[in-house]
Amino acid sequence: MTGTTVAATDAASGLPAVPLQDTVLLPERIGELTGLDGFGLGGELLATFLAAFLIGNLMLAMTGVAGPWAKRKITAAFTDRIAVNRLGPAGLFIIVADSVRLLSKELIIPENADRPAYDLAPIVVAASALLGFAVIPMGSGLHLADPEVGLAYVFAVSGIASLGLVMAGYASANKYSLLGGLRAVAQNIAYEIPLVITGMSVVIFAGTLQMGEIVAAQHETLVEIAGISIPTWYAFVNPFAFVLFLVANFAEVGRNPFDTPEAPTEIVAGYQTEYSSVHFVLIYLGEFLHIFLGGAIIATIFLGGPAGPVLPGIVWFIIKIWAVFFATQWLRSAVPRVRIDQLIEIGWKGLLVLSFANLILTAVIVGLIA
Amino acid sequence: MSTGLERQPAVEVTEDELEAIVGDRALARDDHLNAPGFVIRPDDVQDVLKDLRDEAGFDHLANLTAQEYPDRYESIYHLRKYADPTQEVSVVVPTTTDEPVSQTAEPVFRTADWHEREAFDLVGIDYEGHPDPRRILLPETWQGHPLSRDYDQEKPQLVTLTEHANPIQPDHHDDESDTMFLNIGPHHPATHGVLHIETVLDGETVVDVDPDIGYLHRCEEQMCQQGTYRHQIMPYPDRWDYVSAGLLNEWAYARVAEDLADIDVPEYAQVIRTMGAELSRIASHMLALATFALDVYGDFTAIFQYGMRDREVVQDILEDLTGQRLMFNYFRLGGVAWDLPEPREEFIEKTRDFLDGLPAKVDEYNDLLTANEIFQIRTHDTGILEPEVAKQYGCTGPVARGSGIDYDLRRDDPYGYYENLEWDVVTKDGCDNYSRVLVRMQEVEESAKIIEQCLDLLEDWPEDERTVQSNVPRTLKPDADTEIYRAVEGAKGELGIYIRADGTDKPGRFKIRSPCFHNLSALPEMAEGEYIPDMIASLGSLDIVLGEVDR
Amino acid sequence: MIGILKSMATTMKHALDGSTFTVEYPETAPDVSPRFRGVHKFSQERCIWCRQCENVCPNDTIQIVTNDQRQGEQYNLHIGQCIYCRLCEEVCPVDAILLTENFEFTADTKHDFVYNKEQLKAVPWYKDIDPLAAREPDRDAWVGEGEGEVDYQ
Repeated sequence: MTGTTVAATDAASGLPAVPLQDTVLLPERIGELTGLDGFGLGGELLATFLAAFLIGNLMLAMTGVAGPWAKRKITAAFTDRIAVNRLGPAGLFIIVADSVRLLSKELIIPENADRPAYDLAPIVVAASALLGFAVIPMGSGLHLADPEVGLAYVFAVSGIASLGLVMAGYASANKYSLLGGLRAVAQNIAYEIPLVITGMSVVIFAGTLQMGEIVAAQHETLVEIAGISIPTWYAFVNPFAFVLFLVANFAEVGRNPFDTPEAPTEIVAGYQTEYSSVHFVLIYLGEFLHIFLGGAIIATIFLGGPAGPVLPGIVWFIIKIWAVFFATQWLRSAVPRVRIDQLIEIGWKGLLVLSFANLILTAVIVGLIA
Repeated sequence: MSTGLERQPAVEVTEDELEAIVGDRALARDDHLNAPGFVIRPDDVQDVLKDLRDEAGFDHLANLTAQEYPDRYESIYHLRKYADPTQEVSVVVPTTTDEPVSQTAEPVFRTADWHEREAFDLVGIDYEGHPDPRRILLPETWQGHPLSRDYDQEKPQLVTLTEHANPIQPDHHDDESDTMFLNIGPHHPATHGVLHIETVLDGETVVDVDPDIGYLHRCEEQMCQQGTYRHQIMPYPDRWDYVSAGLLNEWAYARVAEDLADIDVPEYAQVIRTMGAELSRIASHMLALATFALDVYGDFTAIFQYGMRDREVVQDILEDLTGQRLMFNYFRLGGVAWDLPEPREEFIEKTRDFLDGLPAKVDEYNDLLTANEIFQIRTHDTGILEPEVAKQYGCTGPVARGSGIDYDLRRDDPYGYYENLEWDVVTKDGCDNYSRVLVRMQEVEESAKIIEQCLDLLEDWPEDERTVQSNVPRTLKPDADTEIYRAVEGAKGELGIYIRADGTDKPGRFKIRSPCFHNLSALPEMAEGEYIPDMIASLGSLDIVLGEVDR
Repeated sequence: MIGILKSMATTMKHALDGSTFTVEYPETAPDVSPRFRGVHKFSQERCIWCRQCENVCPNDTIQIVTNDQRQGEQYNLHIGQCIYCRLCEEVCPVDAILLTENFEFTADTKHDFVYNKEQLKAVPWYKDIDPLAAREPDRDAWVGEGEGEVDYQ
């Protein structure tokens, strides 16, 4: 796999190409650093594996922080409570304690569970999210691959999660799980289309599906106010698409107000009702990974990816995806869950129509300028 | 804001007219302290009740008490009017011990359904023509009827596993329909305790709902029958509706026992009672609001926590006043246990502070709940309970007032100090979940008004007239065979108690009329045909406490 | 839409003001009010064995055994089943049994909560509590001796 050295051409303005910051992908860099690139295909594979390992662990570490700790702290702030604070500074060591606790719990598998599917579901959910990170440019050289169909790839792999959810729902042999699984599928179908279509409006702007180039296309200056230049992040260029994408993304990852597949007060915990111990950890991690993947996609295609002043790219990137995570928690504190029929209605009658309108509008604008 | 509907003045029915309506069917008179009573034959039940309902306007079957005497069984139908609850009549239906069969009243009053099931379950009277003659509080396999005279408490309830009806039965999945049977509860995040709802679903739509209660049955009635009037019963009402409505429950017992034994309560104590009861009501409504938000919003969200935070302030005040946070045991027959805590000014100040801060809190709830568009689409036009249906089920309290039924015992059957205070009864005629939430929120404000006025009174009360208890004999022995039914406006509705004195210092029969019991029985009417989330929301809007449902 | 934004603004306001209403128990235990009814303190020296507390108790928490001279032999307190109604304190003519403000006491089983009069002398929860002092502001407020005959057996 070769790194993209061809600079992106701004489709809209036809301005001279801007050189990309991260032209060397992570596997190659690791290959260079460790000397593995001298070992031919095997070395290249190993280097790629190491890079993937690094990125995967980074993301898992982030979910590890988010799940047991940050979520509690954020919720507590909204609800005027203190939350975890006894173990370590600001209660951070609760992460370790919680991991041990969750992993040492008894693994209970329902008698009638459909075994391979039951066991595979958490893996599918978690893996589908991890796979998505492969094409996300995280700045500071943390970029695993940059295929030309990057955006389509991300949507495709994150869509696999629906399969995992319906597997979990069906294989658990529990009616609540089944309802949750069905809800998850109905919801994902209803919201994936607006999500992808809104994503397409960005593609029209950037003229490419390649993640690296979408990021690069957001380096222009949109306007300059009092010496501060606002970059052409697509969130600023087309805020309407940004809001649409945010909403569709919350629904896609099943967060409030669209958390109907889990809906604790209605169907107990939806598809994850019957999961315990390690299985539960995986499925829970998977959910958080999906929130972060959603955040990563938003950051990449709307918020200029790793771009930002002073701090290194990866820091900015993490700040951006945590901002999206924070938004999910904020919504959770204040917005009621919509009913499943209302959710489907909003998806098909509202978001889908709006996203098409947005697509046409974008196409017209881009067409006029070009 | 006060009344959504104009109150129809109830036509006064004199005793002579009543006698004329019942006519020959009355075998004898058996007057209760609160109401004239007519003894009728077991096969005239439907006729008499129907005539009383249609001709005399007794549209509220407040309670049904069943009991066994040495020579007979007796079912007492306590009727009153929604338009004027001070007009009451009791219909007494004796049956023989050998063959305790009585006609069901279910076709006349839907609420008789659950009541007669309970009477069958605990006392052992069979109701002929009852559509669903199952046990209700005890397990299906229970042997004997615990409140009947020949019941052997010592006999162990041994039922083999195969005989025992499994609460988690497999699907009733027949080939013709594609509905799904779903057990919601007894351990489910949204059942507010241990309630088991047998639900039949068609996709996401609820086709059939059958609340299965009794998991929290603690024999409260029997426990009260074993306590002395003077002291030992009072701690127990706190435990019926145990989510901070304690003082309201205590008042139910205090009222009935004081009327039974003819005890005066000093005015000063009445003011304190009124204040304490309204504080309890605020605490209880706060919790109702918080848990309703929990049901609609999902996780332990902000509103739940804010509700708990505000309730906490009320609880602190109540703790200062009564010495406990939930199980107050503060009322005594003939007054209350203590005067306001010293220093009085500090207590009054603290309560005032709470009241002053309340409008801001209410605004916050309005911002969070009622103004929120998603909350509106979730609650508008869901869980519809038409007023006529609500009356059939004997719904009272915020549930009835949310359906536009202007019924509040504090005003309609005055007790305590309510008559002398300025406040309004809140009604909404939306009949949906949203109205019920609004009613509760505005009742909080009305309660605050009442407390405010009570504080003014208490502050200026002359020091030498601060009598908190009248002189009550150590041992109370009301005359044998005095019967009385009295109710107060509890947090959830009409909380009534029937007592039959048997000449000893303990009640012969103690029957609790629980508002939650009636309100919950209306759940199928509200939920059938709705989606699961709406059923959960409707359940939340009923604000049931299983401790009170199961007693 | 405005309503949703209003809701979100409200919760954000709470998040930003940084105030909390929960406390770090047990480091900062909240104060209980002077009237609070916690676990009992029984004083053998004061007790006159009139058995009123035993009679008034709604659920047999207190069990008293006296000899034929009506001298106390046993005073058993089954705290595990107490409902903290405070009726025993209310009827006690000599303040021999009092409900303290202490609510922190634990045991592994309910049966560990049965104490006889010897054990009651030194149960761990007494700490340094002077229950009478705590009750002092309210001593006078308590009325209700009643007219009926006082049962001193």
